[in-house]
Amino acid sequence: MLLQTIITGLSIGSVYALMAVGYSLVFSVLNFSNFAHGSIITLGAYIAWAVMVGFFSIPFFPALIISIAGAGVLAFLNERIAYSTLRRRRAPSLYLMISAMGVSICLQNLLYATIGAKLYALPAVFAQDTLSFGELTISKMDLFAFAFSAITIAILHLVLTKTKVGMAIRAASHDMEMVSVLGVNLDVLVAILFFIAGGLGGMAGVFMGVKYMVYPSMGWITNKAYIGAVIGGLGSLPGAIIGGLLLGLLEALVSIASIGNTSLSTYRDVFSFGILVIILIVRPTGLFGRNVEEKL
Amino acid sequence: MKRVITSLVLTAVAIALIVGCKPAEKKAPAKEATIKIGHTVALTGSNATWGQAEANALLMIVEKLNAAGGVLGKKLEVIAYDNRADKLESVNVAKRLIEQDKVVAIIGPAQSGVANAIREVNNAAKVPVIGTTATNPKVTVADDGKVVPYTFRVCFIDPFQGTVAAQFAVRDLKAKTAAVLYDVGDDYSQFLGKYFIEAFTKGGGKITANEGFRSGELDFRAQLGKIKTGKPDVLFIPTMQKEAALAAKQARDLKIASTLIGGDGWASPDLIDLAGPAIEGAYFVNIAALEDPAIQDFIKEYKARFNADPVLPNPLMAYDAAIWIVDALKRAGTTDGEKLMKAMEETKDLQVLTGKLTVDPATHNPLNKPATIQQVKDKKFIYVKTFVTTD
Repeated sequence: MLLQTIITGLSIGSVYALMAVGYSLVFSVLNFSNFAHGSIITLGAYIAWAVMVGFFSIPFFPALIISIAGAGVLAFLNERIAYSTLRRRRAPSLYLMISAMGVSICLQNLLYATIGAKLYALPAVFAQDTLSFGELTISKMDLFAFAFSAITIAILHLVLTKTKVGMAIRAASHDMEMVSVLGVNLDVLVAILFFIAGGLGGMAGVFMGVKYMVYPSMGWITNKAYIGAVIGGLGSLPGAIIGGLLLGLLEALVSIASIGNTSLSTYRDVFSFGILVIILIVRPTGLFGRNVEEKL
Repeated sequence: MKRVITSLVLTAVAIALIVGCKPAEKKAPAKEATIKIGHTVALTGSNATWGQAEANALLMIVEKLNAAGGVLGKKLEVIAYDNRADKLESVNVAKRLIEQDKVVAIIGPAQSGVANAIREVNNAAKVPVIGTTATNPKVTVADDGKVVPYTFRVCFIDPFQGTVAAQFAVRDLKAKTAAVLYDVGDDYSQFLGKYFIEAFTKGGGKITANEGFRSGELDFRAQLGKIKTGKPDVLFIPTMQKEAALAAKQARDLKIASTLIGGDGWASPDLIDLAGPAIEGAYFVNIAALEDPAIQDFIKEYKARFNADPVLPNPLMAYDAAIWIVDALKRAGTTDGEKLMKAMEETKDLQVLTGKLTVDPATHNPLNKPATIQQVKDKKFIYVKTFVTTD
């Protein structure tokens, strides 16, 4: 059972990780927590629903690409409309964060008002969804999501370390003004950044839609991803991934633990949020966030 | 500006409602020869679909009762006012019914919170109220454990469903072991789970696991993994359709073979859309089903008259409540509130639409009320049986 729980934990954790990367990317450069990320994830899932079930019946892979692109564009628009003016005015990052919260609530309620609270399911990608090894079962969708996320994050890592754009993003995470003085168009840079973060969010949304379901408040789960990002160290890419995986694992293990006859499953969030508080006390920058010098 | 417009519109609506209600009041004193039953019901707002059906059902049963000679030598008359399922409005409605229309009893409200709101009014005036679908236990039994003297209900209470599910599992499914997966953040789910466990254990079954999750969670595989090790015959999931669908899917992914059982929170077509094949064969408890053989005549009549299917379960409950009041009036021989209340309390084995009605004087809840068991089969809810619990 322990092995099964670890597999479950990793599968939940990988979703957290994918979402946490989106938070960390934006935080690393703009220094604020983009709480609208959860709504972008939700919209990504709705795009997939629209093209796979609602209006067309496109197969999974093209739908995934459309959702990634769509969510990327939405994140870009989100930045253009809600953040860019504040950013140019050099407003304190707190204002950006509050604006992000506003966008998040606004988008979620827009979904309630237009599409409604109805729950939707995305069609299963694999006909026989699980692989069995004796008592052990692994969902094929989990394996696929895990592999796809890993490859995407690896590509992202290559982009960040090997390309000019990546170098500019990394440089901007150290000193945005300096980068702009050196001739980098900040607007383009931030647009690319949000497109990437949004695209990753759209991907996470589609995976969640297939594994669970699609509904307006599904972005709630990003709270957990955000905690993952904080545990790992906001602004750090490996930190976001490890923080997310760690949180998923911890939650799954707490769920099966018990003290005496009391099952701890109901205390799951007490543990995950408690650990967040403890980590912030012991290591205010998270596990991997080492000051400003070593972001990304 | 928008606010001003909104409040203007609201005021206009309020005036229209008050004015709209006037004729009924004027008409009332003219007919001294009738026995009046009040109906407090949501005829507008989001609960209106059930409220309208309730009013329609009362129209049907009162016509029938009057055709059979009425009661105590007088004809019956139902006076219905819209309470919009709003607590404040309901207090006004209750006062108007009691003070101006002098009703002998009130049918409705359908919502537990609304029933609690009018408690002071009807109990002070000694006018019995019968909640139609107010399922919260506290409606008829106050916090101090004492029964609220003039408040009754005709539906079952939330915890009762847990007992039905457990006894059905033991007797019909021959289950020896069971596990429960419930939502710790939800009273409905917690109570249902608790009463299931009590009744299942009482019936000789063994609980292998009782696992909780927090409202809003989507992944229950960790808990289900633990449940799987106990290999329970049945898995009881007392939640709404969303969690039930997710849990069903994840349970089948983990190759849990247990029969799944739920409560009336499952009764939404969403369940089938979301869970797909994972939910096939699962059973759940419901207040009423359109296919229930006992109510086919009622449905036929309702359809012929109102050109639509009755929106269950409210019309059935209002219908039963009317039969109950008339029976109690006959036995009491008077419209005096105190005597009527006593007669209502003593109701035993009264034949109503949904079965036999016996009232528990200690709680004012119907005893051994039949519940409907439904099953998911071929992507549809089918009627399995009408189930009566035993203690």
